[in-house]
Amino acid sequence: MLYVVFYFQVHQPYRLRHLNVLDIGKGIDYFDEHLNSQIMRKVAEKCYLPTNKILLDLIKKYEGKFKVAFSITGTAIEQMKAYSPEVLDSFKELVDTGNVELLGETYYHSLSFLFDTNDFLEQVAMHRDLMKSEFGYFTETFRNTELIYQDSLSDLIYEIEGFKTILTEGVDRILQWRSPLYAYKNYAKTINLLLKYYQLADDIAFRFSDRDWPEYPLTVDKFVNWIDHLTLSEKEGKNLFLNLFMDYETFGEHQWAETGIFDFMRHFPEEILKRPHLGFANPKEAYQLANYQQEALSFPEPVSWADVERDLSAWLSNDMQLNAIETLYNLINLIRQKGDEKLLEIAHKLSTSDHFYFMCTKYFQDGDVHKYFSPYDSPDQAYIYYMNALADLEERLQ
Amino acid sequence: MKVLMFTWEFPPLIAGGLGMACYGMVRALLELGIKVDLVLPTKELVYFPLREPDDVDKLPAVFLDPQKHTEYVSHKFLNIEERLDYIGVTVHPETYLQLGELKKFVKAIKKEYQREFITQEEREIWEELTTQLMGDEDLFKKVQEYTLRAGHFARELDFDLIHTHDWLTYPAGMLARSISGKPLVVHIHATEYDRAGGPGNERVHRIERAGMMYADRVIAVSQYTAQMVMSHYRIDTAKISIVHNAFSLSDEYHRTKKRIFKGPTILFLGRITLQKGPDYFLEMASKVHKVHPEAYFIMAGTGDMGRELLYKSAAKKLGNKFLFTGFLNRQQVEDILRASDIFVLPSVSEPFGISPLEAMAFGVTAIISKQSGVSEVVNHAFKIDYWDVDLMAETVNHLIENPELCQKIGLEGMEEVNKIRWTDSAEKIRQIYSSTLSEYLKSTSS
Repeated sequence: MLYVVFYFQVHQPYRLRHLNVLDIGKGIDYFDEHLNSQIMRKVAEKCYLPTNKILLDLIKKYEGKFKVAFSITGTAIEQMKAYSPEVLDSFKELVDTGNVELLGETYYHSLSFLFDTNDFLEQVAMHRDLMKSEFGYFTETFRNTELIYQDSLSDLIYEIEGFKTILTEGVDRILQWRSPLYAYKNYAKTINLLLKYYQLADDIAFRFSDRDWPEYPLTVDKFVNWIDHLTLSEKEGKNLFLNLFMDYETFGEHQWAETGIFDFMRHFPEEILKRPHLGFANPKEAYQLANYQQEALSFPEPVSWADVERDLSAWLSNDMQLNAIETLYNLINLIRQKGDEKLLEIAHKLSTSDHFYFMCTKYFQDGDVHKYFSPYDSPDQAYIYYMNALADLEERLQ
Repeated sequence: MKVLMFTWEFPPLIAGGLGMACYGMVRALLELGIKVDLVLPTKELVYFPLREPDDVDKLPAVFLDPQKHTEYVSHKFLNIEERLDYIGVTVHPETYLQLGELKKFVKAIKKEYQREFITQEEREIWEELTTQLMGDEDLFKKVQEYTLRAGHFARELDFDLIHTHDWLTYPAGMLARSISGKPLVVHIHATEYDRAGGPGNERVHRIERAGMMYADRVIAVSQYTAQMVMSHYRIDTAKISIVHNAFSLSDEYHRTKKRIFKGPTILFLGRITLQKGPDYFLEMASKVHKVHPEAYFIMAGTGDMGRELLYKSAAKKLGNKFLFTGFLNRQQVEDILRASDIFVLPSVSEPFGISPLEAMAFGVTAIISKQSGVSEVVNHAFKIDYWDVDLMAETVNHLIENPELCQKIGLEGMEEVNKIRWTDSAEKIRQIYSSTLSEYLKSTSS
C-alpha cells in the first residue's frame, strides 16, 4: 500500500506595530491588534472555514478512510479565540471525528530548539497542554517549527514521554539515493521519522496556480497518476508513505479559491480511494504500518522546509537576524531570572520565527515569498521595530 | 538698506541647516532695519518682500506678473500652508537633492500605477523606474531655471546689494550682479568638499569657485570654512569674512529632561551620510558597549548610509542598545534631545554644524568633531578629532562613569549656548554690507 499522509500547518504570528524609539517606555502594546485581527478574519473567511468544511464533508463521506493531520500553534489558537472563535469550533468538530491527528510543536512557533533547550522544552509542554485543554487530544507526533530537524532534536523529543514520531523535510543532501516514501528512524533508532515528499507537496502548495509551470493546470487525474507511478515497491508488499506537508493557508489564501484549489481537494480523496493500493494514513499510524526494517537516518546539520536551500538561512543568515535572536534569548534568560511571567509571555510572542523571517534579505525566488508574507516594507524596518520592542521589554524588566 | 537675497532653503522649505540659518539670519537683519527681498525656488515667479521681523513667518509674496498678483491677492486661503502651496513652495525634508517637484513627479506617477491589487513585485518595478527617471540632471535643470529667473528680479526690483547662499544660488546672484551692477555677497554654509568628504562633483566645485571669484565679498560660516575656501578654491583672503552662525531656540520648547531609558543615552542626530561621520559614531558605540552594556545609542535621522549603518550595527552585535529612529519631526527632535545625556557630532567635515548647539540648549553634554565650525564658538563641550574613536569612547565612558560631571558640563553648555544670538552675527553682516557698499560706491564714482 501507499498511504497519502496529509499534514497541514496552521499558524499566525503576532505581527508587530511600527514601533519608534520614542514609543519606548510608554507602555505601548507591541503587537498590531488591528492588523492581526484583520488577517485572522481574512484567513478565516478565505481558508480556515471553507477548507475545514470541505475536510469535514470528506471525512464523513468516506467513513474514516480519509484522514488528515494538523499542527496548530498556540499563537494561532489564541488569535482564533480573540478574533474568530468559530474557526476554533470548526477545528474541534474536525478533531471530534477521530480521523484527525494533532501534532505537537512549540507553542509560539519558535526557534528555541536552536538557542535555548529549557525554553524549547517549556514551549513544547505548553503546546501539549493546550492541545489537551482545547481538543482533549494527547499528541504523539512532533513537528518542529518549519520542519527544522537535526539529530539532537530527536534526542530531546525522545526524552519527552509519548512522542513516537517526528516529521521533517525530505532533504536531498540527507536522503541521497534513498526515497522519502519509506518510514525511517532517527540516527539512534529511538524514534520514527517521516519525510516530506517536497516535489509533490510543493506542486500543490507553490505551483498549483503557476501558469509558467509546464504541468499547469494541475488536475486530480494527473496528480493521482503521478502518485500511482510512485508505487513500484508495492509489489514487494511494502507500505509506503507519501508525506504531503504544507501550510494550511495554501487552501484559499496562498492559492485563491478561483485557482480551483478547493475543487482539487474535494475530488482528490475519491481518486485515491478508487485504487485499492492507495489510501490515507495519519503520521502516528505510520510506524505501525511499516512492515520492514526502518533504516536510520542521520541529520548532523539542521534542515528545514524553507526556500531552495532547505536550511536555516531564511531566519538566521544575516546580521540583523542573528543580533535580534541572540538579544531575544539573552533577554528571555534575564526575564526568567526575575521570574516575571507577564514579560515572559511577551518575550515568547517575540520568539515566533516569523519575526526573523521578515528580516530576511535573501533575494531572487525566495525573496518574493518572504515579501508576500511580510507586513513591513522592508527587512530593515522589520528589524528596527523588533529591536525597539526588545529595548522596551528590557526597560520594563529593570 | 535693501538686499536681494537668493537662497534654496527657507522654512518651511528645509532640507538641512541652511534653511534654519537663513531664517535666523534674516529675522535678525530685519530687526536691524535691513529690508530683504527673498527669492526661493518656487513654482511661481514670486519674491517675498520681508520688512518686519515677523515677516519671516508670514512670508508675504508678490507675483512679478501683475495679473497673477491680482488673482493671488483676491484668493482666499484657509491657512499659510495652503497659500504657500498655491505659490509652489514644497516641503522636502529628506535630502538636499530631493526637490519638491521631483516629489510631485513621484506622487503623480504613483497615483497612476497604485491600484488596489498591485503586487509587491509590480510596485517595486515602478519604484525602480521612478528612481531611475530622477537624477542630478533634475537639480541642474532646476538651478538653470532659477538662474534665468534672477534676471527678472535684477531688472524689476530696487535693491542695494545681492546676497546668495551656497552654490545652488550662486549663478543667480552672478547674473543679478551682471544685470544690476550691484555688489554681490556669497555666503558659504557648506562646500562640495564638506558634503562629499573630498573633491566631490567637479561641476559643483567649479560653480562654487565661479561664484566666489565673481563675488565682491565672501562670507564663511567659520574659520574652518574660510581655511577650506582658501586652500581648495584659492580665493583672495582679503575678500573673505567670517560670520559664525548663531542659534535661537523658540521659548515654546520644553527643555527639562524626560528620559526614555534608565541607562545613559548617547545621541547621533543628523543626516546619516558620509559628511556626518555616522560610522565613527558606531565604532565609538561598539567600544563603549563593551565597558557599559547598559548604555543606549540612538541614531536619529535618515540618509544614504542608513541601511549600511543598520547592517553594520547588527554585525557589531550591540544587542538592543543601538537603535534607529528614522525621520523625526521637530516635536520628536525635542523629545529625543530631552531623553539624551550625551550628544556626539563626529562629522568628517562640518562647515558649521548647528545641531550640537541645539543639543547643548537642552543641557545635553556635547562631544564635537574638531573638523567643525561650531567647535570655534563653544567652550563647554569636548572637541575631538572625528577619527579618534578611542578618545571619543574614553570620553563617553568617563561621562557615563561620572554622571554628575556630565550633568554639570551639560548645564554649563546650556548657559553658554543661551548667550549665542543671531543679533550679533547679523550686526557683523550689516558691517560687511556697509563696507562692501562703500567700496562699491568708491569704485563706481572713480
